[in-house]
Amino acid sequence: MGGWGHIPPRCRDSRRRGDRCLPPSRGERRAVPTERPGRRRRRLRSLRGGGRAGMRCSVVLSPTNIALVPASRRRGLRRWDRPGADPTPRPPGGRRGTEPRAPGGTHRPPGSAGTPRDRARRTYARFTGAPLKVHRVTSPWRSPSGHLPALRTRDEGIISKPQQIITHLRKQKYNADYDLSATQSADTLAFVSLLEEKLLPVLIHTFWVDAKNYVEHTRKWYAETIPFPLNFFLPNAMHKRHLERLQLIWGDDYMEDEEKLEKELYREARECLTLLSQRLGSQKFFFGDSPASLDALVFSRLAPLLKAKLPNGKLQQHLKSLQNLCNYCTSILSLYFPWDGGDPLTGVPRAAGTDGSEAEEDPHKRRKQLLSVLVGLVAMLGYAFLSGIVSIQRGSVGPAGRQPITLEEEEEEEEE
Amino acid sequence: MSLVAEAFVTQLAAAEPWPENAALYQQLKEEQILLSDNASSLAVQAFLQMCNLPVRVICRANAEYMSPSGKVPFIHVGNQVVSELGPIVQFVKAKGHSLSDGLDEVQKAEMKAYMELVNNMLLTAELYLQWCDDVTVEEITHPRYGSPYPWPLNRILSYQKQWEVRRKMKAIGWAGKTLEQVLEDVDQCCHALSQRLGTQPYFFNKHPTELDALVFGHLFTILTTQLITDELSEKVKNYSNLTAFCRRIEQQYFEGHDKDSSAIAARSSKRPLLR
Repeated sequence: MGGWGHIPPRCRDSRRRGDRCLPPSRGERRAVPTERPGRRRRRLRSLRGGGRAGMRCSVVLSPTNIALVPASRRRGLRRWDRPGADPTPRPPGGRRGTEPRAPGGTHRPPGSAGTPRDRARRTYARFTGAPLKVHRVTSPWRSPSGHLPALRTRDEGIISKPQQIITHLRKQKYNADYDLSATQSADTLAFVSLLEEKLLPVLIHTFWVDAKNYVEHTRKWYAETIPFPLNFFLPNAMHKRHLERLQLIWGDDYMEDEEKLEKELYREARECLTLLSQRLGSQKFFFGDSPASLDALVFSRLAPLLKAKLPNGKLQQHLKSLQNLCNYCTSILSLYFPWDGGDPLTGVPRAAGTDGSEAEEDPHKRRKQLLSVLVGLVAMLGYAFLSGIVSIQRGSVGPAGRQPITLEEEEEEEEE
Repeated sequence: MSLVAEAFVTQLAAAEPWPENAALYQQLKEEQILLSDNASSLAVQAFLQMCNLPVRVICRANAEYMSPSGKVPFIHVGNQVVSELGPIVQFVKAKGHSLSDGLDEVQKAEMKAYMELVNNMLLTAELYLQWCDDVTVEEITHPRYGSPYPWPLNRILSYQKQWEVRRKMKAIGWAGKTLEQVLEDVDQCCHALSQRLGTQPYFFNKHPTELDALVFGHLFTILTTQLITDELSEKVKNYSNLTAFCRRIEQQYFEGHDKDSSAIAARSSKRPLLR
């Protein structure tokens, strides 16, 4: 079967270096006769994407992450990429992993970019240089365990719980906290608790429960990238789940007391951000020069808040006023997620700036149009057959069709 | 309370000095109070002792319902009622007494973080143990919680509370944990606290802060409470500097107040507080 094995060496190497990769020359293309033309076109398009996109790293990411990736890079990150066809992935920045092959594939859920936990895990994996194959799926049904995120490992099957995934990575000797002293590890635990207690509920509220933000930003964001038919009910289901959770934590009527909400809860969140800023000071990371798990967690919480364009962004404004935290987030983004860099969330799905992106959108759109036309046709024909307007009889071509015409003629004759 | 009213109240609070008849309300000590409530109450008492503010401890069966936020303990000072350690610390600060003034910004951040750690792990573990572990619930919690009330009210109230706590556990993701995992978390938390304390007398070297009060409240209660098994207190006893810390604070702040405080009796022997 055609596939990456047939790629000329030149392309593979340039892919490893992260350069833009030229498509194979005409001669080389013809040297792959067994491929179907369609598949070859797709492969070439993904080659043109170059660099990391062409690497076909298969961590399962959310549709929102697809939205995060600039359109020009999105080629090659297609749902139908075959995971087995991947050459050795290059470990991302940071410490290089010692194992040449990925210990397994990671499936990330739809909406996981909005879920800080999954971003935390991905960031942690990047910090440690763990070689992971990232499979992007857009629906939880495609994940091996039914839940997302899911880490599929060679030895231990499928792991779904967040903490277990990090523990597994640590067991495989990808530990970002290896160099920390005992006090620093204790501090990590304490700050993690602080984040989970004070900041995370307010973040959930900002993105999922606050009416304006949810309707104008979050729901749209998810609905655009989750495929039909899930996009109708999955965002709402997530909204309900988060609302329920917040009601349990804060009391059932917290939504009604707007002032209390604004004053106390947002104040505590703002205080938490200020505390983080004070702890970070002017350092590059929380514990010196290399990142640790606390950095992964803090980044995963703060990055969406910083980058998303929220209509109701009080907390966001406060975060933006803390300059060292903003610089911290952008530096991690540029170091460890270089293709996300800049401003990835500025309505990228809509911004079909390049031709490539239009060509990229086309197969989707075409397919959908074709499908809808087909469905319409089949429905009409089926109705026609069932109700007897059209019937197929051997010998006489469309007798039923002729009848109305003859009737009309008779009528005309009669009128005359 | 609106912003303006809150500012007004704070000003009022600041204006009046600490009265002599300040009272702290909790549930009945011998028959009713549970592990987590006792820990919180002891933490507040320790904090007020450290600030040198006198307070009487009053035990009422309906303390939980009297409290403005539904949680014990709460203090009644002048004509204000404040519940839970966080707001009490702020209230006391408005009156001009504070333990954490001498800390710099980074230390304050760390102190807040560690307080959240204790709340997040120790308190939740205590709640889990007493409301989600079936054996403990049946033998200790249900009998104690509803003891002031006649049947069937005692059963109804305790089932109601249990249902509420279990929902909350589910919301924060603790419902799926086993007892071993919870004890593991307690161990991790104690390890972190022990590392942070090191060989210092208090967490921020020379003077106690609200963090010391909170940690003392929880650890002392765990150490001196008899449950079905000893696993919880064993986890704490593994860290000798933490037990020494508890002993030190008890000696310094609770020795002379045998009647009022609950930190009576021998330090390391078990008191049948919860049976």
